[in-house]
Amino acid sequence: MFDIKRDEEDATISLHGRLDASQVDAARAVFNQVTESCEVDFAELSYISSAGLGLLFGTQKRLVDGGGGLTLINLSPHIREIFQIAGFDNIFEIG
Amino acid sequence: MTAISGEFRREIDALGEVFAFLEMFSDGQEVDEKTAFCINLVVEELFTNMVRHNEGGGDQITVSIERQDNRVLLELVDTDVEPFDPETAEVPPVEAGIGERRSGGLGIYLVRSMVDDLNYGYEPEGRRMRITVAKTLEN
Repeated sequence: MFDIKRDEEDATISLHGRLDASQVDAARAVFNQVTESCEVDFAELSYISSAGLGLLFGTQKRLVDGGGGLTLINLSPHIREIFQIAGFDNIFEIG
Repeated sequence: MTAISGEFRREIDALGEVFAFLEMFSDGQEVDEKTAFCINLVVEELFTNMVRHNEGGGDQITVSIERQDNRVLLELVDTDVEPFDPETAEVPPVEAGIGERRSGGLGIYLVRSMVDDLNYGYEPEGRRMRITVAKTLEN
């Protein structure tokens, strides 16, 4: 199961459950609406694969081109390791 | 022990069934959380790669898994497909900044980075692709 919520101030996107290739379209619908810097809260996310990484990368690239960016918070140790292997710790601000 | 196998629809939406199959194995074999995470990721990346790049293949992809001592052995078999060796996939420039990076190529790179052994085989008779993976348990 996967769920994604964006708070009313549009300052934080919260990810819940498992972000795999079969769920990435639901996440894309939200991230495509992001036009300014915001936080992405991973506290309730237990799993991510390259499908989710690719979505985050595309969003980050678009925001950085406009002078903004995503800040990722509360990554689990397993997910943080995936980001490190992918070299994404150089691309995102990770809190 | 004997490997357990499952046959899954060649569709991305079949991933939920694949994960349920892997969870049953990991729970039964008391696989640690980190290794279970890795198994999920490896199978997802290889499975989705087969679904997306082996167009025209058979209706189902077979996933087999077994534990041998402190290792987990995985096998994915796809039939009626053209050869595609994941070992030849381009390595993404993971040290580069965002300006030099592009999306794509990450899945196979993650797999190669996280497992101990990855082997590819192709049998022209039956046009059968077989990918085997070995992963040492973390705990």
